[in-house]
Formats: sequence, C-alpha cells, structure tokens
Amino acid sequence: MTKLLRLAGLAIVLVVSLLFAVFVGDQGPWYFAWVIGTVMIILISGAGAIMLDAQSGLSADGEI
Amino acid sequence: MEFINPDVVDLSRFQFALTALYHFMFVPLTLGLTFMLAAMETVYVVTGRQIYKDMAQFWGKLFGINFAIGVATGITMEFEFGTNWSMYSHFFGDMFGTPLAIEGLMAFFMESTFVGLMFFGWDRLSKQAHLAITYLVALGSNLSALWILIANAGMNMPEGAHFDPETMRMQFESFVNLVFNPDAQAKFVHTSVAGYVSAAMFVMGISAFYLLRGQHRQFAARSFRMAALFGIISTVAVITLGDVLGRLDYEKQPTKIAAIEGLWHTSNPPFEPWIVAALPDDARQENHYEIGVPLVLTPLITHTFDQPITGMHELEEAAGPRIRSGIDAVAALRRYGVTHSSTDLAQFTAHEQDMGYGLLATRHAPGQDVTAIPADQIDDVVRATQPDILPNVFVTFWSFRLMVFLSLWFFALFAISAYLSLKRRLERSRLLLKLCMWSIPLPILATEFGWITAEAGRQPWTVFGWLPTFLSASSHGVSYMVFSLIGFVLLYSVFIAAELYLMFKFARLGPEHDSMEPHAPATPQASAFDMRPMAS
Ligand code: HEM
Repeated sequence: MTKLLRLAGLAIVLVVSLLFAVFVGDQGPWYFAWVIGTVMIILISGAGAIMLDAQSGLSADGEI
Repeated sequence: MEFINPDVVDLSRFQFALTALYHFMFVPLTLGLTFMLAAMETVYVVTGRQIYKDMAQFWGKLFGINFAIGVATGITMEFEFGTNWSMYSHFFGDMFGTPLAIEGLMAFFMESTFVGLMFFGWDRLSKQAHLAITYLVALGSNLSALWILIANAGMNMPEGAHFDPETMRMQFESFVNLVFNPDAQAKFVHTSVAGYVSAAMFVMGISAFYLLRGQHRQFAARSFRMAALFGIISTVAVITLGDVLGRLDYEKQPTKIAAIEGLWHTSNPPFEPWIVAALPDDARQENHYEIGVPLVLTPLITHTFDQPITGMHELEEAAGPRIRSGIDAVAALRRYGVTHSSTDLAQFTAHEQDMGYGLLATRHAPGQDVTAIPADQIDDVVRATQPDILPNVFVTFWSFRLMVFLSLWFFALFAISAYLSLKRRLERSRLLLKLCMWSIPLPILATEFGWITAEAGRQPWTVFGWLPTFLSASSHGVSYMVFSLIGFVLLYSVFIAAELYLMFKFARLGPEHDSMEPHAPATPQASAFDMRPMAS
C-alpha cells in the first residue's frame, strides 16, 4: 500500500512538472530548466559521493 | 524648479554600487551552499552513513556564519531606494515594489524561519523532516533572489508596465509578464547557478586544504568529489545562461551589447573579430591595442553568420531623431499636466516611446528644462545628448571579459578536479589542490564583475529607455551623502572582516564530528560556535 502511495505521489509530481513545463514553455523555459537542472546537479553530485563509498570499500586508508 | 546636483547623483550611484557589491560578497555562498547541504543530507538520508551528516553539519556551520553576517547587508539596499533614489521609486515603484515585497516575505518568513529549524532541528526532527527543511531553506534563499532579479530585469527590460501620464509613473499591468520576462528568467538562473559555482569552489577549496594537510581525509574526499561534480555542471550552466543573456542584450539593450564587445562601428558579418583584449578609450570613442579572433563575434552574439551588430557610433546617430521626438513628448506632457486637453495627450502619445530620450536631454537644456530650448538651439542640444546614450565602455568591456575569462578557469579546474577525484588520484596532485584552495574567492569576484557588467552596461538609465539615472536620485546635500557613505564603508568592512575571521577560524578547525577519523581532536573553540543546543 505504501509503495502504491509513493508511486501515486511520484506520478503527481511528474504530471505537475509536465504541466509546469508546458505552461512555462510558452514563456521561455529557463525557470523550468533551473528546477530540473538543480535536481540533476544534486543527484549527480550525490551519486559521485556514493560511488566513492563503493570505490573505497568503506575503508579509511585507501588512496584518495 | 530644483536643479539636479551631479555630485549628489554620482555619490548616490557610488553608494549603491558599493553596498550592492558588499552585499553580493555574501549572497552567492548562501544561494549555492544551501543546495550543497541539501545534496549532502540527501545522501545521508538515503545511505544512513554518519559521515554525510557530519558533512551537512560542518558545511552548514560555515553557511551559518555567512548567513548571519550577510543577511543584514541586503536590508540597507531596500531602504536606499527610498532614501537616495526617491525619484526612481516614484517613477517605477509600482513595478518594483511588488517583487520587492514578495522578496521580503520570502526572505524573512520562509528562509529565516526554516534556517532556525535547520540549525536547531537535528535532534528534534526525523531525518526526513529535517531534510525537507534543508530543501525549504535552499528554495527560500533562491526564491528570494528570484524576486530581486525579477525586479532588476524590470529595470533592464521593462515588461508588464506602461507609462501613465495622469500619475506620471510606470503603471503595473501584468504580473505574468513581470514574472516571465525573458530577462528575469535568464538572470535568475545565471545568478543562482553562479552561486552554485561559488559554493562548489568554496567546499572544494577547503576540502583541498584538508587533503594537503592529510587531515579528515575521508570527509574531505567526499566533500571534494561532491563539490567538483556540483561545480562542473554548474559552470556549464552558467556559461549557457551567459550566452542567453548576451543574446537578450543584443535584442533589447543594443548599447549594452555594443559596449560589452567594444564595438564602435557596426559589425561586418561573418568576419568581425571577437575582441579578446583592448583598451577602449571612451573620450576618443575608439579602442587601442586590439587583439581579436576573426569570425567569432557574429555567431557568438547573434547565433547566425549574417546578422550585423549595431556599433556605438551608429546607435548614437540613430538616437538623434529619438531625442528630438522625446523633447516633444516631454513638452506635450508638461502641457497636458496643466491643460488636460485631448490634443496635448494625443501629441504626447505620438511621441511617448521616446520620452526617456527627451528626459536625457534635460542635462543640456537651458535651466535643465527641455521646454525652454529655443528652436535654433534644438540641434545643439540633440548633438550634445547623443553621446550620453552610451555606457562607460572601458568598465563594461573589461568587467564582462574578466567574468568570462574566470568562467573558463572554473571550467578547467572543476573538470580536472572531478576527473582526478573519480580516478582517486587527488592526493598525488598537490599543485591542483593548491590551485583549488587559492581559487576560493574567484567565483565571488566573477559575480561582482557580472553585476558591474549588468549595471554599468545599463547606463545612462535606471529604467532602460524610460528614466535616466541622473533624474532618479533624491535631492540630498553632498555632506549627507558623504557622511552616510563613510558610515556604510566602515560598517560593511567590519562585517567582511568578521566573516573572513570566522570563516578562516572554523575552516581551519575542521569538522568537529568526523566519524571516519575517530581520533580527530575535539577542539573547545569549535563547540563555542555550535549552534545546536544539545549536540549529539
Ligand atoms: C562565458 C561565461 C559567461 C558569460 C557569457 C556571461 C554573460 C553575462 C552577461 C551578458 C551578463 C549581463 C546581463 C545583463 O544584461 O544584465 C552577466 C551578468 C552576470 N554574470 Fe555572467 N557570464 C558568464 C559567466 C559568469 C560567471 C562564471 C559568473 C559567476 C560565477 C557570472 C555571474 C554573473 C552575475 C552575478 C551577473 C549579474 C546578474 C545578471 O545580470 O544576471 N557570470 N553575465
């Protein structure tokens, strides 16, 4: 049930994002690009850190 | 009639420029660090690893210093509009006031409230709730910048307003046009992301310092990698949006783009060189020692190979008829103020779009009154006013270039840093680590150059094409202006000194909690600034 709710929540976010994109698309898309871009920057930098955890095998003395 | 004192205007401009530049030493870090904190905390919530909480808390502490000292510097500027720029506030207040009021609400209610929860809520909120608060702080600080940039875009490209001859001011007509002004959109993203670049360089530089000293290695490695990736994407975005702003200037502010490019004569597409360096001479209206790269300017600015860019001489020539028509507009408006007759209104409406150019001629009119220019002197007044439509070319040209050259440096530094971090070869590259450390202030410098480009390039207008700067100031005495200027310089210098002292102190001390370096000494000084009442 919680999984379903989460998926529904995600779907609502996606629909709102799409509507937002269509609306601002007429006006010039930069606000929308900022929202998407910021999320992307956060996810990529976070993924980079998690990759480092995997690379170092959680040990404290490997090369950095 | 009261005469305009040019010294008061210059002092008001100097004071505003100074307070704005001081203020903007704090803003970029706030805009960027909040989202970096959100990124670190997201990783903490997703992985549950303590080190990311340590990171969010330590960088959050440095953000707190910047926020606490910087927040006050913005407030003075809002008051300056009323005290020093009362004519501007009357003329454009209807437009400017709306976004400024929303900004106040965002900054004081949203951002400040959530900042408190972010600092004091670590032990009182669930992980997820705290993360949501951190995102709200980031959103709040960036959205308050959004409203300021919407207001600033209104001054550069007034959209969503019209001049009302009854009230003698710009009247607000469309909130949607105000908010979705293409200039506002591009300015917001350019400036917000410039903040991301500044924060990324800050985190990367301080992490490089720890790596150079072999301290907090795991903490620094993760911070460094996140910052390098954050920085490289942000730099690409800043450059992209810089290009958009340049194109908008080409379409809507031809004098600004011509000054930015040091283009005295209309370009010759597609061969016109992009001038890399030169000494623009405003007095003689030419460049000395030009070094250029052919074939670059036209596609760079116009995104075509055949559209010319109008040069400053040609813009000056084209302004002649507009100044003449503007003088008619001002005269008709003056008459309409007395007679309220439909004939005078019709005459004004016919020349309305040039009114600003008529106001620009005020300085050269007898008794600063364009309606008093004798018919045989109109040509002289028009000729004297024509060069006034240009901004200071030397300042605009070089501030733009310094911003652009710095962005190329950031691109190279972030790219190499991200690569070496991903390859885990950072500690061998000591020179790179040192360069990262020394580059910490450079993005903030680039943002200052950005503002100088935008604002010096907008001259001679406060509201582009409508209201000249020299007509926008209040009528203070020179001594009042000098006195308040000295006060601001002293006060703000104390703020900057305090910021630098605290930043150096707490950055040197390093993270108080470093879960991957259990023997790191817990320093008593560090806990003195601990903002959490019950540290975990
Ligand atoms: C190739 C790179 C860049 C280009 C082409 C570029 C272009 C521009 C232009 C044309 C303006 C004036 C906008 C106006 O008409 O008002 C501007 C303003 C500005 N720039 Fe840049 N820029 C670049 C890089 C940067 C970097 C690296 C930073 C800071 C890290 C930065 C920060 C700013 C700021 C704060 C402003 C003032 C606010 C605004 O008008 O948006 N820029 N930039």
